[in-house]
Amino acid sequence: MKNLHILKNAIVSFLLIGFLNSCETPSNYEDEDPSIAFIAVSNPNFSTLEAAAVAGGVAGPLSNPNPNDSSGDYTVFAPTNDAFARLGLNSETLGVLQKPFLTNTLLYHVSNGNLPSSAIMEGGASTSAIGVDRRFISRDGATYINGSQILATDVMASNGTVHVIDKVMIATGVDIVQSAIALQSAEVFINPELSYLVEAVLYADLAGALSASEGSPSFTVFAPTDQAFIDLGSALGLTFTQPSDIRQLPVEVVTAVLLNHVVANDGKFTPELNQGTITPLGGDDLTLGAFTNGTLTVTGAGNGGEPANMVIPDVQTTNGIVHVIDRVLLPNL
Amino acid sequence: MTKNTTKNIIRGFCLLIMGVSFAQSPVNGFMQKAGEGGLSLSYSYESYDKVFLVPEEVDGVPVFNDVTKTSISLYGDIGISDNLNIVLNVPYIKSEGNATDATLANNGFENERSGIQDLKVYVKYRFSRFNLGENTLDLIGSIGLETPLGDYSADEGLQSIIAIGNEASSFNTFGIATFKTKSGVFATGQVGYSFRGNSVPDALISELKLGYAASKFYLDAFVANQLSDKEGVDILGEGFVGFFPATRVNYTRVGVNGYVPFFDGIGLTAGANTYIAGRNIGKSTGFYGGLVYSF
Repeated sequence: MKNLHILKNAIVSFLLIGFLNSCETPSNYEDEDPSIAFIAVSNPNFSTLEAAAVAGGVAGPLSNPNPNDSSGDYTVFAPTNDAFARLGLNSETLGVLQKPFLTNTLLYHVSNGNLPSSAIMEGGASTSAIGVDRRFISRDGATYINGSQILATDVMASNGTVHVIDKVMIATGVDIVQSAIALQSAEVFINPELSYLVEAVLYADLAGALSASEGSPSFTVFAPTDQAFIDLGSALGLTFTQPSDIRQLPVEVVTAVLLNHVVANDGKFTPELNQGTITPLGGDDLTLGAFTNGTLTVTGAGNGGEPANMVIPDVQTTNGIVHVIDRVLLPNL
Repeated sequence: MTKNTTKNIIRGFCLLIMGVSFAQSPVNGFMQKAGEGGLSLSYSYESYDKVFLVPEEVDGVPVFNDVTKTSISLYGDIGISDNLNIVLNVPYIKSEGNATDATLANNGFENERSGIQDLKVYVKYRFSRFNLGENTLDLIGSIGLETPLGDYSADEGLQSIIAIGNEASSFNTFGIATFKTKSGVFATGQVGYSFRGNSVPDALISELKLGYAASKFYLDAFVANQLSDKEGVDILGEGFVGFFPATRVNYTRVGVNGYVPFFDGIGLTAGANTYIAGRNIGKSTGFYGGLVYSF
């Protein structure tokens, strides 16, 4: 009987202790910093970034310490939903991008180690996880990484630091010509883009001049969309239904038009461009509008005052910066 | 008569607790007599659109927005002797997400996973009963095996956010104490440990239940806890590679259960439960109802 009494007490004690020790409470973990992936998932302003990270396969890596840096940390420049929306992208439309391009683009926003805002300064640079440098620019009291304004800094994560930016950064990792060909051959979007431009460059035999080589210059290039060329055809009383239709125009004209889109100024991101005129290789000045909301309009001398808008600004290539625009810039023909 | 009805209620109730497999401990604190037992068929529904993550709860289930789980469970138990019971349970589970068509297409995911989940077999042994005046205290030990019966997968990356189970076998032990008064008021508590395969962290499981079994009905309220071993990983935390079985799942869940007999040996049961705290688990609220047949 005494043994049973001891047994009973032992079991009741076991139950009581076990029960009391088994309650889950927030105090078990509330002091932990969230991971970078958690920050993207938990913040409604990063829902497109979350969807992109899931589709691009970087949600797992950004949950964990960085194996490529002794600190175990990453620095991520995180584009907001509005940043993606500038490109027509949200969690529903991300499927227009090819997966490898999406993944590369995400990794372009990532670097090894901690880069606190105190270490970010005008003229500085930071190497991304895909090996391409990003540069820091100051303008009107704001700080930019490439063409993207840094909106908030130093969000601390368990595996690094997050800074918030207002534009998605894009780097192609290849030169201007190869970048255009990547778009034309649907390696960026699942549908081809810049097909007319690529055809025009080949027709005008300018591919060599715009390709990167040892000691070759860097350019700022305004790259008209396919629709821009189709619209130009309509304005000229022609019907462009396929890129080769550009060959209906004399090669001299196409060459002159293309050279009107290239500025030999080392390649400038939007925050490095100012309202006023710049001179393209063709010689007839282009007019830049005011720097507003991170972009500028650009108007050719022969456009009759109708400006082109940047639909994809600040694309970094190995020999310059490409701004995709919605109108062909015409010189005085 | 009254005594018999009460006994039937308790017996009927023995069947149903395990019928709702996610909600509560797989074994209850009551024993079937030799040769007696029963069967129950129950339907459960639970849903969530918030998830307990570390360091805080998030709104919206990643990828799937919200998740609804429904199940049909077949449950049976039988008394080999007054002190030895065998318990069996098999649930069919349907787990549905609410991801948009574009999200599904872009990731190659689907909004539904369903199938027969795990077979659960438990042996319960009452090794002592103390008569304390007109009250009784039963001390019960239980061991059980759970193993996947269906061919579902838990290893589909983020698709497995809506997996129906962990695709893991486990060996489970419980110590149970049940105190019953003559008036029908009872308290039953249990603590158990679950040893789990497929990289699922082992877990300490406990449950405390207070109830009342009268001649016309049965009612209880419970709080159930699970604490997983710290070797488990946090979703979106260090060590997370998109393999959900390896996550450290903790929770505190509260609920109520009721049972009403309406024909000899046949009764209806229903209940509700909700998570009030957790880690790496959906903040789910659920309901169930079932038919119980006792023999």
